Amino acid sequence: MSAELSLAARLDLNAARPLHAALLAHRGDDLVIDAGRVQHLGALGLQLLLAAAQGGRQAGFAVSFARRSPEFDEALRLYGVTLDDLQAGPRP
Amino acid sequence: MTQDPMAEIRASFFVECEELLERLQDALTAIEAGDHDPETINVVFRAVHSIKGGAGAFALLPLVAFAHRFETVLDALRSGQMQPSPEAIKRFFQAADLMQDHVRAARDGTAGPANADEVLQALEALAGPPAEKPLAEVAEFQPLALVLDLDADPGIADSAEPQTAWQVFFAPHAALYATGNEPLHLLRALSALGTVETRCAYPAAPDLIDLDPEAAWLAWQITLAGEVGVDDIREVFDFVEGVCALEIGPAGGTNACTPGGQTETTQPRPAALHLPAAEAAPARASGPPPQPTLAAKAAESATVRVDLERIDRLVNLVGELVINQAMLAQSVAEAGLAPSSAVANGLEAFMMLTRDLQDSVMMIRAQPVKPLFQRMARIVREASAAIGKEVRLHPEGEATEVDKTVIERLADPLTHMVRNAVDHGLETPEARQRAGKPREGLVTLRAMHRAGRVLIEVEDDGAGINRAKVREIAISRGLIAADAVLSNAEIDALLFLPGFSTATTVSALSGRGVGMDVVRQAIQSLGGRVTITSDPGLGSKFSISLPLTLAVLDGMVVQVAGQKLVVPLSSILETAALTQDDIRALGPQTHVISVRGAIVPLYDLGTELGFRQPRSSYDGSIVLFCVLDNGSSAALAVDAILEQRQVVIKGLQKAYGHIPGVAAATILGDGQIALILDPADLVRSATGHTRAIALALAG
Repeated sequence: MSAELSLAARLDLNAARPLHAALLAHRGDDLVIDAGRVQHLGALGLQLLLAAAQGGRQAGFAVSFARRSPEFDEALRLYGVTLDDLQAGPRP
Repeated sequence: MTQDPMAEIRASFFVECEELLERLQDALTAIEAGDHDPETINVVFRAVHSIKGGAGAFALLPLVAFAHRFETVLDALRSGQMQPSPEAIKRFFQAADLMQDHVRAARDGTAGPANADEVLQALEALAGPPAEKPLAEVAEFQPLALVLDLDADPGIADSAEPQTAWQVFFAPHAALYATGNEPLHLLRALSALGTVETRCAYPAAPDLIDLDPEAAWLAWQITLAGEVGVDDIREVFDFVEGVCALEIGPAGGTNACTPGGQTETTQPRPAALHLPAAEAAPARASGPPPQPTLAAKAAESATVRVDLERIDRLVNLVGELVINQAMLAQSVAEAGLAPSSAVANGLEAFMMLTRDLQDSVMMIRAQPVKPLFQRMARIVREASAAIGKEVRLHPEGEATEVDKTVIERLADPLTHMVRNAVDHGLETPEARQRAGKPREGLVTLRAMHRAGRVLIEVEDDGAGINRAKVREIAISRGLIAADAVLSNAEIDALLFLPGFSTATTVSALSGRGVGMDVVRQAIQSLGGRVTITSDPGLGSKFSISLPLTLAVLDGMVVQVAGQKLVVPLSSILETAALTQDDIRALGPQTHVISVRGAIVPLYDLGTELGFRQPRSSYDGSIVLFCVLDNGSSAALAVDAILEQRQVVIKGLQKAYGHIPGVAAATILGDGQIALILDPADLVRSATGHTRAIALALAG
């Protein structure tokens, strides 16, 4: 089944643990992430999203993005990370 | 760091541009003279290319676009596709001139030259179809792409352009996050410094369950291109010192600190900057950072650029020192110390040091006249093209050094004189052929040091001054009486009268409302003089005689009617004590002196300056034989010679305008102000009255 996860506006130190918990909660699901509200993507948040995508790839689950705010995309560019790094292909 | 590093870099770019433009002119001149050495053509190419490169870095797009097209044509010349025909060289000179306009426009933020396209099209037509140098290269020259292009063309890599690339490795520790710091802000700050290429390095992530959300396991490898110092980069990371791993080194090194275990997505993407392998030695931030090329360049040419204001300040200070030393010398003399005393000896050494110091400071200000002459070359090209004459400029003595201020203030009058030479001096090619001269007219621009002054001459091989016409015009303008008897030199001098213009029709060139009187005024304000010599059919020569410096001079302090005056030593030939036997009366009011068979007119300084009536006897008085502009001499009678010393020139022009016979003023050792005379100017307006008229007394 597929789950939707809406990201908080600020993914900073304070948001890291809740995000971790949310990602763990959806483990084993195809994940559609809504990053449309994200104003600030902190590096800790990025770490978690990267780990989730990597986990998805390893376990064969899809991770994709439904919406992305300009701030989210801008942060990815500054981090030198592409959207592909954060996504996992659909279940084969 | 200075307040606005960009402004500083920009300013130094424009200074470099001037040097490159000078090199460009030199090389073009050499090519014109028949030097077809590939290296000479390369010099031209490199100059244009370097300017283009620098302009790209500052997003000076009109300049980049112009330079690019110019460069493309030069490339055709370099590759032999195009021949350096006279027509092509003429166009190259025009393009070089336009390039200079573009540089100045970019510097001053004004509009570029209007006719650039026409010249470029003419050149492109001569070059034939362009080789494969497509528009893509222009696109590369968008702002900040500079470094990339330099690398892309190693054949002409030129160290003139500022270029730096840094490799930054940054790995936050958990403490960085725990203290509320955010890598995103740091990366953003880095990207503001220049062009960044960021790679995020992350190892195979631990499983989500095992993952500590507040641990740190990302790291970044950033390549930063731009004119940035290592300190600028360090500054970004100021607040995270100790809570991250940071390595800064020159780009190109394969940084050994990249953590292993990268996933395939973090394998290096094609990096924008790959410097040659020779530069690949990774330098750690702890080592001495390689400074940007500006420093390297300074070492190359071993020169330092100094703000002119600082030099002026130094010159002023030395001037004050000279005055102070004179005052000290006076005090010592008044104290009546023995000449062999320690104080007197020390003072003498001090005087010598002061003089050396002064000479050295003056040398800093002195610059060769070459850039000025190059400007004149352009004036000749443009003026001759405008009126359809064939003219060649022949510069002589370009290495002659003149005070910088003098050079700057000489540009306008010299421009006018050169234009005059082309417009009025030289005949049309047809008239020249009829006179048995080559079609091409010759204007010679000459600079030399002569008797402690600088002599600059503008000479043409034209028809010479048409004295009959000059006379006629002067009479029609009411400048002279119709029956005035004038020598040739006096007729020539009429050209300098206000409102005189020989061009009966005002041409586009010379008729700008600026007459030779303005030229003379400009030269006079520099403490110089301008004179004319002319031979009918052979040409005319305008000579400007200027002081070497505007700051100090060696003068003779004389006393006249109780006043102290300074006469420049450079204008004094000899001095003598008069006896009545030496003096001959000439006419009712004037005297002449016979010196070793020569007859020299006598002038009484006291009378000429209005201090007193002519004296009844000159027996026992002192005369100074002064050299005049035209080579003749005059005798100035003074009461006594006091001393010979170096004086600091304090200009009077600003406050009083031009005073006939007075060049400037100075402050003497006792604090008294003395006028510095200009004997030639004094004689020009002198009455020559040296004989008292007894009638009034007899009354």
